[in-house]
Formats: sequence, C-alpha cells, structure tokens
Amino acid sequence: MNDILVIAKREFNARVRTKAFVIGTILGPLFMATIMIVPALMASKLSKSVSIAVIDAEGSLQTLVEDSLRGGSPGVVATNPLSGGRGRSQGSTEFVIRKVEGADVAAQREWAKAAVLKGTLDAYVYLPPDVLVVSNADYYAKSVTDFDGIRAVARAIEKAVFSKRIRAEGIDPSRVEAMTKPLDLKRLRVSDKGAQEDKGVSFFLSLVLVMMIYGGTLMWGQIVMTGVIEEKTNRVVEVIVSSTSPQNLLFGKLVGVGGAGLLQFSIWILALVGVSAASGSLAFLSGVDMPELNPVLIAAFPVFFLLGFFLYASLYAAIGSAVNTVQEAQNFIFPVMLPIIMAMVCWPVVMRAPDSTLSVVLSLIPFMTPILMFLRMSVLMPPVWQIALSVVLTGITISIVIWIAARIYRVGILMYGKPPNFPEMVRWVRHG
Amino acid sequence: MTHALQLKNVRKAYQGHVAVKGLDLEVPRGSVFGLLGPNGAGKTTSIRMAMDIIGPDTGEVLILGTKADKAMRNRIGYMPEERGLYQKMVVEDLLVFMAELKGMKPSESRRRMRPWLEKLGIAEWQKRKANEMSKGMQQKVQFIQALLHDPEILILDEPMSGLDPVGTNVMRDAMIELSRAGKTLIVSSHQMATVEQMCDRVALINKGEKVLDGRVSEIKSSYGKNTLILAFEGDGSFLKSLPGVMAVTDTGRYAELKLGPTADSQLILKAASEKLKITRFEVVEPSLHDIFIERVTEVAA
Repeated sequence: MNDILVIAKREFNARVRTKAFVIGTILGPLFMATIMIVPALMASKLSKSVSIAVIDAEGSLQTLVEDSLRGGSPGVVATNPLSGGRGRSQGSTEFVIRKVEGADVAAQREWAKAAVLKGTLDAYVYLPPDVLVVSNADYYAKSVTDFDGIRAVARAIEKAVFSKRIRAEGIDPSRVEAMTKPLDLKRLRVSDKGAQEDKGVSFFLSLVLVMMIYGGTLMWGQIVMTGVIEEKTNRVVEVIVSSTSPQNLLFGKLVGVGGAGLLQFSIWILALVGVSAASGSLAFLSGVDMPELNPVLIAAFPVFFLLGFFLYASLYAAIGSAVNTVQEAQNFIFPVMLPIIMAMVCWPVVMRAPDSTLSVVLSLIPFMTPILMFLRMSVLMPPVWQIALSVVLTGITISIVIWIAARIYRVGILMYGKPPNFPEMVRWVRHG
Repeated sequence: MTHALQLKNVRKAYQGHVAVKGLDLEVPRGSVFGLLGPNGAGKTTSIRMAMDIIGPDTGEVLILGTKADKAMRNRIGYMPEERGLYQKMVVEDLLVFMAELKGMKPSESRRRMRPWLEKLGIAEWQKRKANEMSKGMQQKVQFIQALLHDPEILILDEPMSGLDPVGTNVMRDAMIELSRAGKTLIVSSHQMATVEQMCDRVALINKGEKVLDGRVSEIKSSYGKNTLILAFEGDGSFLKSLPGVMAVTDTGRYAELKLGPTADSQLILKAASEKLKITRFEVVEPSLHDIFIERVTEVAA
C-alpha cells in the first residue's frame, strides 16, 4: 500500500511539475473562455463602423436603402421572413451613410471608386435601374470578406426593395410587418424548480464537460502508456520491480497520473465556476449569456472522468508494457479506443431520446458509461438507480480490466524484442 | 550459519531455450561472491530470480534463510546490468524515491546520500537531472541507488562495465568499504580478471549450469602452479612446441604457457632464453579466466 502511494506521488509530481502541465492548466480555461465568451461578446458588444454610399440608378430607392442601413425606420418592413429571418450579428455593423457626390450616376460611380481607393469611403452599393425587377445589386469595397457586414447590406437593400414592391401593390408595409412578425421560440426546461428558460449555453457547457471526459480519458491514458514505454526503454522498471510488485507499480501509476489529470480539470472547472459566478458583477460580461453550472454535474464530473480514465488507462498501460516504442503501440491502440469512439458515435442518438430504452442500455455499457451516462445526466437527469448501476458496473469492469492489464503488464515490462500478438497476450493473462 | 542467498535447484526456461538449468548456489553471509561466466551464461536470469523479478519455473530461492517477501527484499540492494534511471528526474529526488520504495524515510536517505555522492565524485550533480550526466556518472548514481537504503546484501550486475580506469578504482574502493562494513556482496561479471582479486568466493556458470564454485584460493590451489608467465623481446612463436607446454596465450611481448604434468619450467626457461630476451619469468596459479576456459572446453569435449 505504501509503495503504491510512493509511486503515485512520483508519477503525480513528474506530470504536474512540467511546463506542459502548467501551460495547459492556464491556457485551458483561457481557451474555453475564448470559445465561450468572445463570440458572444463580439456579437453583442463589438460593433464595427463602415462608411458606405448608395448609388441609386433606379431613382426612388436611395432614401429607403439609406434608412434601412441606418437601422430601419417606420414604414419599412423590419424583417422579411422570406429572406432568412434574423441573424445574430445584425447589430454588429454600424453603417455611416455618406452623401454621394456627382452629377449623374456615372460621375457618382467614378467618385465612389476614387473615394474607396483613397480610403475615405469603405464601401458603396450600386442599384441598377431595373433593381426592382431583377433583384440585383453590386457591392464594391477594397475587401469583400466582411461577410456579416455584406449580409447586413444585402438585407437592408432587400428590405427597401421589398417594401417598395409592396407599396406598388397598394398594401401598407406596416400591415405586412405585423402579419409576418417572426416567431420567437423560447426553450424552457421543465424541472422540479419550475420552468426555466434555457438559451442553450448551459447545455453547451455540459457538452464541453462530456468532451473533457472523452478527451481527458484518451489524453491521460496515452500519457500513462508513454510513461510505461519510457520506463521500459530506460530499464527503470527492473529496479522498481525488484522493490515492489508490478501490480503496485501499475496501480500507483494510475493513481498518480489520474490525480494529475483530475487536478488540471478541477482547476479548469473552478475557473469556470468562478467566471460564471462573477459574470453578474463583471460589467464587460453583462448582456452575455453565461452558462449556469449544474452542481450535480460538477460533482459527477470527477467520478465519471476517473471511471473512464481507470478503464482506458489500464488498457493503455497493458499496451505500453507489451511494446518497445510508441510506434509499435499504434497498432494496439485502435481496438482499445473503439468503444469510446462508439460512445461518441452514439451521442446524437442519446441526445435526441435520452430516456429511450436504447439510450438506457447504451449508457449502462461500462466502456460507454463515462461518456453516455454523463451525457444523459446533462440532457435529462436519469433515475438515480440507473446512475448508481452504471457506476457499479463500470467499477466491476475496471477491477477486471486492471487485473487483466496487470497480468499482461507483469510479463510485458521485462519483455524486449518483437511485440507479442494477440494470442500471446491472452496466454500471458492466463498463465501470468 | 544461514546463507545470505541460496538458490536450490533453480530452473528457468524462456520460449525455446533454457536459461538456467537446475542451479544451486550458496552465498555465505559477509562474503564477496563473484558470479562469473560469459555473456548469456544465465547470470542475469539467476540474479533476477534472486530478486524475485521473475519467478523460477522450479526450485527455490532463499534470502537470509527464508523465502523472499517484501520485508526481506528491503534488505537487498540491486544494481541491474541495464542501468535504469528516470532520465528527467533530479538525481536527489530519484535516489529518495528509490530508497523510499525500499522503506527508507526521505529525510534519512537525503542525509545518507551526500557522503556517497562525494566519495564517488558526483556531489555537484545532486540537484541536476540524470539525462545531463555521462553514462559512467549515471552508473555511479545507480550504485548509490543500490546501497542507499543500507541493505545487508548487495547484488551488483556488471558493476564495472563501461567505467574508465579511475572510475573502476573508485567503484572498487567503495565495494571494499561495504564489504569491510560487513555487507554481503554478490558481484556478477563476465570480466573475470577485474572481479577475481576482490572476491573470496566465486561460482563459474556457463550455459545455465554451474561449472565450479568455492573459495577462490581453494579453486586455484587445486589446479596447482601450472602456469608460466613470460615477458620477452623477440619472436616467441616457438614456445608452444617446447616439451610439456600444453597451450600458449601469446600476446606478442607477453605469453602465458599452460604446463602439462611432465613439464620442467627450468628447461623451458633455458630454451626460451636462448632465443629471446626474457624480462619476466614467473610460475603462478592459473587465473580464473584460464580455469574457466579449461573447464568449459573439458565439458565440451
């Protein structure tokens, strides 16, 4: 027992006291914050100012389009349901309308072109004489990759053209607007605490946690494997098994590396909880939808991460012991990864019907439990007995897998030369 | 008297070949025991079985009179033939870790390591990583790793291989010091000459079998003074045709002549001095090397 702790301590220190760990631990939350907060911030806060001029060859659309670009005015259809509904980045581009100079359309186009080249004007649009019929217009700018801005321009022209056509038919645009008001479908989760609006961000966070279990299991499992191969190549293993049993070495290694992984994830989750808790008081985040963290999920995360880690890392360790180099290990890794990949493939099935018989059965298969049961918990909390059963089943599987892995490990770590084939490994397990 | 280490009819087979064929070994406490034999003789396999790294197929291993368990293994120090150090670990942490696995508290192993690091001339490497050290220095670290937890028995597999002459001397002095402190040393080597002067007992093994064992002095005297050492200037190729000479190891300016029972060393000296300028002439006991060769070729014939 003491040996396991001594080995676990060394493994833990060897993983944690590296630059890679420190950098990963700091950058992880920054990365997550970036992918979660920045798009939301950009959508709601960061607006871009674009100076634009409208050249109207049709003759009657100039003011309408300009108003529409400024953000709409009474009498213009706010949203044309036929043109694709609302976009989240609609408010992110602010258009500054520049007065067009020039006597006729040709002179205006010359002027606008020169202004864009000089940099005094960002962009201009040209509405051809038959724009109301053909629905064509041209957008000119030095760069045409500001997709959100261009889409906003297109929508503004569309609105103007649409309202002009409606007027021509003798219909009041405001009535059309009222009739075609887009539907705002709120998503509400029914739970014991009453219906709560879910804007999808909290759910997105749960998915991040599931991804962390998946990625963490494979990454830290891989680290265990390379550690075993390294000990074998260095021949350190011979010194260690002269002091303690291979089983102790394997178990200490799993505990130590698992602890390092858990530490990193704990720091990440604490950072998330911190940001989430502070978001109300942080001015720059107001208006951004911050995820709510379900405490049950936070508590369950380490359990399911460790279940996944012990299950897969012990298999990785067995592989590492049987081979001499990481390259040789590649052939064995895929069959080991297959079940966890299968779990990821089953993800959509479980998400669509989290309490279907299929989902229940899949989430109870030990090699898939760490992913699928946790996914079910984040989508729709399953009955407690199912969670408990999955943990027990996986626990039993882990002890069997560790037992098998330890038998392979015991023989493998002192074997050099050609890696064994599958029947040979089976023989190692049977005869130890 | 209990033995430090006893192997009783120990056998180990790997796929296809038998590495150790029913080996009996008895290492008395406090002795310096040489386990000698060529590469592939089964030395390392025997040592690994003694350390319980691998189990024998049949037979028994006793340490200090009892079957090896964890507590018993803590009383042995082991330096494997293939040096094994965590390359990215600081030497001090590495030694503390290895000693802790043998049941020694970190504070005590820290206290004990300093004199040894100094004795072996690697004190300034204490806080540096193993992968910054040369092979010879790593070997010294491995040696300290074997003895740091103050074991009664030290098993050293090829302790001198790869060391420079200075390093060899330093290592030998350290081993003599341990022996004087009452430790049992089991030294395995294929270079018999380096171990011969240090050991009081040896076992010679070849192809998994013991060829002979016993006290070095007894083994040698049982062979009598049948070896003639000649140092000379000139062409010594005629030496092997002299009467009574069974075999000659001629290295150009130095020759070892193995004498038959009828040989007369004085006649040989006379014959040799007629054609060569003799600078050294000595009748000695055979070296373990020669005894080994003789026994092995005997068995083969």
